Amino acid sequence: MIGNLKSQTNIQTQVNTKKKRKSLSSEGKWGLLMISPYLIHFIVFIAFTLLASLYFSFSSYDMLNPPEWVGLENYNKLIQDPVFWKSLKNTAYFTILFVPTQTILALILAVALNQSLKGLKFFRIAHFIPVISSWTVVLYVADAIFNPRFGLANDLLLKFGLEPQKWLNDEHLVIPVLVLVAVWKGVGYMMVIFLAGLQNVPEDLYEAAEIEGAGVIQKFRYVTVPLISGTTFLVLVLSTITTFQAFEQIYVMTGNSGDITAAGGPNNASMVLMLYLFQQGFAFLKMGYASAIAWILFIILFVITLIQVKLQKKWVHYEK
Amino acid sequence: MNKNPNKKRKIISYIIISISSILMLTPFVTAALNSLKTYKQYTAIPVEWIPNPFRWKNYLDVWQMTDFAQYGWNSMVVTILSVLGAILSCSMVAYAFARLDFPYKNSLFFMVLGTLMIPPVVMIIPQFMIFKHMGFLDTLIPLWLLEWLAQPFGIFLMRQAFLQIPKEYEEAAKLDGCSPFQTYWRIFLPMCKPQLATLTIFTFMTKWNEILAPVIYLSSEDKFTLPIGVLSMSGAWFGKEQYLVAAALMSLIPILIVFLFTEKFFVKGASSSGLK
Repeated sequence: MIGNLKSQTNIQTQVNTKKKRKSLSSEGKWGLLMISPYLIHFIVFIAFTLLASLYFSFSSYDMLNPPEWVGLENYNKLIQDPVFWKSLKNTAYFTILFVPTQTILALILAVALNQSLKGLKFFRIAHFIPVISSWTVVLYVADAIFNPRFGLANDLLLKFGLEPQKWLNDEHLVIPVLVLVAVWKGVGYMMVIFLAGLQNVPEDLYEAAEIEGAGVIQKFRYVTVPLISGTTFLVLVLSTITTFQAFEQIYVMTGNSGDITAAGGPNNASMVLMLYLFQQGFAFLKMGYASAIAWILFIILFVITLIQVKLQKKWVHYEK
Repeated sequence: MNKNPNKKRKIISYIIISISSILMLTPFVTAALNSLKTYKQYTAIPVEWIPNPFRWKNYLDVWQMTDFAQYGWNSMVVTILSVLGAILSCSMVAYAFARLDFPYKNSLFFMVLGTLMIPPVVMIIPQFMIFKHMGFLDTLIPLWLLEWLAQPFGIFLMRQAFLQIPKEYEEAAKLDGCSPFQTYWRIFLPMCKPQLATLTIFTFMTKWNEILAPVIYLSSEDKFTLPIGVLSMSGAWFGKEQYLVAAALMSLIPILIVFLFTEKFFVKGASSSGLK
């Protein structure tokens, strides 16, 4: 009797698995097949590379010989490496100057553009041309302004009787100038993200504020700012992450015809973490050391993002 | 009474945007003028702003005397292959995530979102090793191959698009005997043209302007793409810098044309990347 029951349940489960297999053989199988490009991507180019780079960061690896385990040596060396600390400081300085400046300017421009204005399309295009330019284009376009000998900036300074500057060749000015150019290139993009956020702010809130007697600035402060704080938060997190990993601009604008070892000057004043990582890895073939820099950068970004997420509760307004 | 503050707001806005637009465009105009000068005039002090005469020949010289055409061809190959790969792979993967039921679907999608957060910097070195072992160094392959394996941002964008389509289309296709792949290819994909346009333009912009990957993977000059090709000219063209300005501006023209015709999708793409 019991045996009979058992065999019956056996049959039942067999039928069940058959059914399951049948459903997998159609839709489920198609599903897995169709996401297979991403699965390959994930396994080979993400999961494997993450593990490999973690392993490299504990190894000595010059690409010619197989990696050799050295424990914490790379990290110990990093802590004592003055250029690493300088590049960390420069990266932080760049980010602290760049992110708030770009965010505030982008928000002001988006608010100004968020209405029916004549020539709206022209204004939008004007702000987007730097966005679609490569850093190589920006190098020569910015040179028209900041060339120490015949740039527009020095020409203006001279006209006003002021001292001409060396701009990118000046240790103290190189990062501010790079930031200025980065804001010029990126602000149009951020502006468009803010414009999308502003489109979700209901018009009747402004009308209500007007009835209460709010002026332009008050409306901006008490209606616009809180209601797009979600977008602002996103913009801040994203731009901090990308700025910390900035490479292309500094490589192009401080280097010399693509020579990676020449970039970061003068006197390492514009050396940032990513550039240092590249020099160590791809110019000096210290792949283990470079991987350690990459992981330190990863951890720093993780902590910064975590802090930003924690702080958002204090200032980001969520609609209930 | 209500109109007054609005008018004031408009005037202030016009002033802000006009100043900002001038600041955006002045460097381009100045660079364009520089590109039309002789070297003597380019370096003249005090600065002579207007070229005299306008040397349009500078552009022709760049085209004839440098490998500009070769760089442009390489950039074109990388960009077109990347765009094709991104459109096909992202939409296919996204369709499965949006419309099909398969084991571990939710955790796999969570994984896609998770990988968006990993900074690329930690993966650069091992990826370089992989391509080295495959023998792909100094070829254009590493510059476009990953686009054929579905990037997370594209998956996310296309999935949102597929989710908005009503269920009836699927059921009708099933009744007609379409396989899930056929349903995706024949019915759903053509319905997502705006999002495909956004993805196309975004991939185009990223790949056309990319510098980091070409710097790592390319070493022979005949493989260079435009951004690093133009950059590499500066050594050989010392004392003729006005040509470099012309070359750089020429490399902007193709993407500028694409942009002017598809401005609407650029803006859409930028605003949806806020979700990234």
